Amino acid sequence: MFEQQLINGLTLGSIYAIVALGYTLVFGVLEILNMAHGEIFMFGAFIGLLMVVQFGAPIPIAILAAVLVTAVMGFLLERFALRPLRGKKGVSHLAPLISTIGVSIFLENLAHHLFGAETQPFPVSFARISFEIGGVKIYLVQLTIFLIAVALMIGLSLWLQKTKAGKGLRATAESIETANLLGVNTQRIITLTVIIASAMGGIAGVLVGMAFNAVSPQMGLAIGLKGLAIIILGGMGNIKGAMVGGLILGLTEVMSVAYGDSGYRDAIAFLMIIVILLVRPQGLFGSPATQVKR
Amino acid sequence: MKKSLIKFLGVLLSVFLVLSVAACGGSQEATNGGENSSNSNAGEEQSGGESGGGGEQVARIGVISYLSGNGAAYGEAITSGFKMAQEEINEKYKGQLKIELLIEDSAGQRDQALNAAQKLINSENVLAILGPTLSSEMFVVGPEADQAGVPIMGTSTTANGIPEIGPYVFRNSIPESLAIPASTKKAVEHFGIKKVALIYGHDDDFTLSGYEIMKDTAEKLGLEIVKTEKYATGDTDFSAQLTNIQAAQPDAILASSLYKEGGLILDQARKMGIDVPVVGGNGFNSPQVIVQAGEAAEGVVVASPWFPERDVEEVQTFVKKFQDKYGKIPDQFAAQAYDALYIMTQAILDAGTTEDRDALRDSLAEIKDFKGVTGNFSFDEVGSPIMDPIVLIIKDGKFVEFTD
Amino acid sequence: MIDFILNPYYIQIASFILINIVLGISIYITLSTGQLSLGSAGFMSIGAYTSALVTMKLGMPIFAGIISGAIVAALAGILVGIPTLRLQGVYLAVATLGFGEVVRVLFNNMEITRGAMGLPGIPHFGRVLAQSLADMGLTADMLGLRNNQWSALLLFIVLLVIVILVIWFFVRQNHSRIGRAYTAIKEDEQAAESMGIPTTYYKVLAFSQGAMIAGFAGALYAHTTSFINPGDFSYHRAVEILIFAVFGGSEVIWGPIFGAAFLTALPEVLRDLADYRLIIYGLLLVAMMAFRPQGLIDYNVINWLKRKFKKQNKHDSVSNGSDGNGSSKQKGGTL
Repeated sequence: MFEQQLINGLTLGSIYAIVALGYTLVFGVLEILNMAHGEIFMFGAFIGLLMVVQFGAPIPIAILAAVLVTAVMGFLLERFALRPLRGKKGVSHLAPLISTIGVSIFLENLAHHLFGAETQPFPVSFARISFEIGGVKIYLVQLTIFLIAVALMIGLSLWLQKTKAGKGLRATAESIETANLLGVNTQRIITLTVIIASAMGGIAGVLVGMAFNAVSPQMGLAIGLKGLAIIILGGMGNIKGAMVGGLILGLTEVMSVAYGDSGYRDAIAFLMIIVILLVRPQGLFGSPATQVKR
Repeated sequence: MKKSLIKFLGVLLSVFLVLSVAACGGSQEATNGGENSSNSNAGEEQSGGESGGGGEQVARIGVISYLSGNGAAYGEAITSGFKMAQEEINEKYKGQLKIELLIEDSAGQRDQALNAAQKLINSENVLAILGPTLSSEMFVVGPEADQAGVPIMGTSTTANGIPEIGPYVFRNSIPESLAIPASTKKAVEHFGIKKVALIYGHDDDFTLSGYEIMKDTAEKLGLEIVKTEKYATGDTDFSAQLTNIQAAQPDAILASSLYKEGGLILDQARKMGIDVPVVGGNGFNSPQVIVQAGEAAEGVVVASPWFPERDVEEVQTFVKKFQDKYGKIPDQFAAQAYDALYIMTQAILDAGTTEDRDALRDSLAEIKDFKGVTGNFSFDEVGSPIMDPIVLIIKDGKFVEFTD
Repeated sequence: MIDFILNPYYIQIASFILINIVLGISIYITLSTGQLSLGSAGFMSIGAYTSALVTMKLGMPIFAGIISGAIVAALAGILVGIPTLRLQGVYLAVATLGFGEVVRVLFNNMEITRGAMGLPGIPHFGRVLAQSLADMGLTADMLGLRNNQWSALLLFIVLLVIVILVIWFFVRQNHSRIGRAYTAIKEDEQAAESMGIPTTYYKVLAFSQGAMIAGFAGALYAHTTSFINPGDFSYHRAVEILIFAVFGGSEVIWGPIFGAAFLTALPEVLRDLADYRLIIYGLLLVAMMAFRPQGLIDYNVINWLKRKFKKQNKHDSVSNGSDGNGSSKQKGGTL
C-alpha cells in the first residue's frame, strides 16, 4: 500500500509543481503574487474540455488550444491588471496582489456564466490504461503528468539559461532599471513572462482535468492556494524550488491521509509554510541574499 | 487632484446607475404564465377563495436560493422547479390565484440570506418564503422569519433541528435520518454486507450529518466499520483515501457526499478496481452522478423520495416538461421545489387568503396526503415531512427501483 | 419615512455595515504600520467562537462573551504576531493567510465547535435585549413597534454605540504617541528604529490590536446571525475584509470605514444583478488599482472636506475650527 500511496503523492505533487512553476516565474521577475493564476489554470481546463467534448479533438490539440487561450489571457492580464500599476508613483507593493485578486474573482464568476456551475467529467480514452509494476498500479495519465512536469521544469531552466530571451528575463528579474539600461526591452520581457506562466497554467489545467476527470469553475482557487504555499516552501522565484516544493507537498498530503487524519489535510500546506517562513524565510532553495528585496 | 477624484466618482456612480437600470430591465421577477387566451380556466372549483369575489388574487412568495458561487448548481435546480410549478399553477388557477415569485440570491452565505429574508419580509411584504437552500442558512433565516410571523419552508434543508426552530418553520425535504437507514438496510440484506468503509465530507454540515446517521445505522445493523475517511469540499483527488479503503477490503462503501465530490469518488474508486457496492446519502440522489461518473456509477444504492423513472403519470409529465425546458432530467432538488410550491399553493387555497400569514401557517400545518411528484406527503406535528422513501439503484446508466 | 427607517431590512443591512466597519478598522490598524495581514478572518473566527461558547456553555451574558472573544483574539494575535512580524510584505500576507486556514481547519475538526455542523442558537443580541427590556416592563407594543422591528432596532443601536466608541478610540490613538510611532514605522522602519522607536513592540502592538478588533467584530457577528460555522471565516472573508481597506483607502481611518459601508451596501443595491455581482466586484478591484490605488479616501480628500467644512463654518463663527485643522496639516505633511 505504501508504494501505491507514493505514486498517488507523486502524481499530486507533480500537478502542484506545474501550477507552482507558473507562480514562481511571475514572482521571480515581477515580485508579484499572481493570485489569478489558479483561475487561468481553470480556464485552460475548460478549453481543453471543450475541445475534447465538442470537437472531438485529440489530447495534444486540446492542450495546444488551452495554451493558446491561456496565453492570450496572460497577455490581457498583464496589459490591463499589471501594466497600469507598474512604475506608478505611490503604488504600494500590495496593489498588484489586490489587482490580481480582482481578476481571479472576475474569472471565476465569468466561468460560472460561460460553462455553468456543475463539475463536468473529462472523458479521455486513455484514462483507464494502466500497468502494474510489482503490485503497484500506475496509470498512463499519472506517468504523463509526471513526465510533462519534469519536461516543463527542465525546458524552462534551459530556456532561462541558454536563450537570449531567457537571459533578458533573468536580468529583468535582478533589476528592471539595470536591465533597461543594458538595452533589454523589459516591457516585452515582462509581458512574455506572464504569457509563458499563464500558458503553463493552461497545460496544468488540462492535465488536472484529465487526471481527476473533473473540471469546475472552483478548481482554480483550491489549487491556487496550494501553489502559493509551494512557492513559499521552495523559495519564491526559484524553479527547482517550485518543483521540489510541489512534490514535497503532494507527498506529505497523501501520506497524512494514508497514515494520519484526513481531516487535517488542507492545513498541512499552510502549517508547512508557517514553519518554513519562521525557520528559513527564503524557502528551501532560495538564497538568503536575494530574499525580500524591498 | 480633486478633479480627478470627482471624475472618478462620477464615472463610478454612472456605472452603477447604468447597471441598476439594466437590472430593472432584466429583473428576476418571474411572472410567466400563458397570456394566450383559449384556456378554459374556470374549470377548477373555487376552493376557498370566496372573498376573492371573482377577482384574481395575487400571492407574493419570496424565494431565497443559492444562485451564485460554489453551490449555484443547487440553486439553479431549485429555482427551475419553482418556476415550472409557478407557470403551471398560474395557468391552472387563472382568474382565481396568481403566484408571484420574488427570487433572491443568497450566494450560499448566511448574512446575505438574512438580508434577503429581511428584504422579502419587510420591504416586499411577501406572504411566505420558500428556501433558503442550505440548512446553515435556515438556522439564521428561520428564527427571523419565525419572529416576524412569516411561514417559511425549506425545500432542501435536511439537517436535524430545522422544523424545531419555530411554528412558522417547515420543510418538505426528507431528512437523512429517514433515507439513509432505508437504503443501507436494503443493501445489507441484498448483498450480505458485513464490513463497511465510510467516506464523507467533513467540512460541510450536510455531508457531516449524513455521516453521523450512516455510522449510527451501521452500528445498529451490526456492521463492522473497517475504515473511515474524510475529505474536504472541493477536493478532486481522492486517491489517498481510496487506497486506504481498498486495503481495508470492505464489502461496501457508505459515502456521505454531495454529487460533485460523489461522482469523482465513484469514478476514481472504480478506476482503482474497488468494485464493491456503494450506498450513498441524499447527495448521490441526482442524475448528475451518472453524468459525471458514467459507468462508474453502476451499483450505487440510494433512498429517495424522488424517482424520475417512477411509473406515475404526474411524474412522467413533470420529467418530460422539465427536460424540454431545461434540457436535463430534474433532480431531487428540482422535484422537491416543484412540490413545495404546489404544497404552498394548496395551503393558500385552503386558507382562502393571500394576505393573512397566520392563516396560511395554520393551513400549511394541516396539509395531509398531498400527492406530489415526490410521493405522498404530510407534515408531522413540528413541520417535517412524513413520507416513505424508495430505495433505488443505478443500473445501465439509470436509477431503477431496487428490488430483491 | 419612519416606516422606511424602521424597516428591519434596512436596519439589518445597517447592522452588517457596522460590523464590517469594525472589520475594516481591524485591517487598517495593522496596515497603519505597513504590514498586510490576511489573518483577519482567522482572528474573527476566534472571537466569534469564544464568545459563542462562553455565552452558550458557560451561560455568561453576551457582553462578557464579546469581551472574552476580543481578549482571546488579542492573545492569539500576540502569539502569532511575535514570530511572524519578522516577515515583510507578501511573505507576511501569505503567512497570515496560512494562519487563517489552519484555524479554520482546527475549528472544523474540534468537538466543542461541532465542526462543520456549526453552532446554532447563539443568543441574538437584539432578541436578548428585547427580552430583558420586556422583563423590565418595556415591550415593543408599548412603542408601537413589531417584535422583529424592535429587536433589530436594539441590535442596531448597540452596534452603533460600539462602533462610534471604536472609531473614537482609534482616531484618538492616531493623534497620540502610538499613532505617530505607527506612521513612522510605515514610512520607514529603519529610520524609525534609529530614532529610538521600539519598532518590534509597536508592530506587535498594532498586529494584536488588529487581531483584537477582528475578534471583537467576530463576536458581534456571532450574536447578530446567531449561527456560525467554520466556513464563515474562509479565505474569501479575509479577502473581503482586505477589499474594504483597499477600496476605501488605508491612509486614513475613514477610508476602510467608507469602504466597508459602501461595499456592504452595494450587493444589496445590486441584488437584482445577483448573477453579475461578483464579476463587477472583480472588475472594480482591478479598476481601483489602476486608477486610484490609494483608495477612494486619502489625506487629500479628508483635507479637502475639512477645508470645505471650515469655509462653511467661517460664516457661522470665525474663531471656531482651529483645533482639528492643526492635526490635519501635520498628517498631510507625511505624504
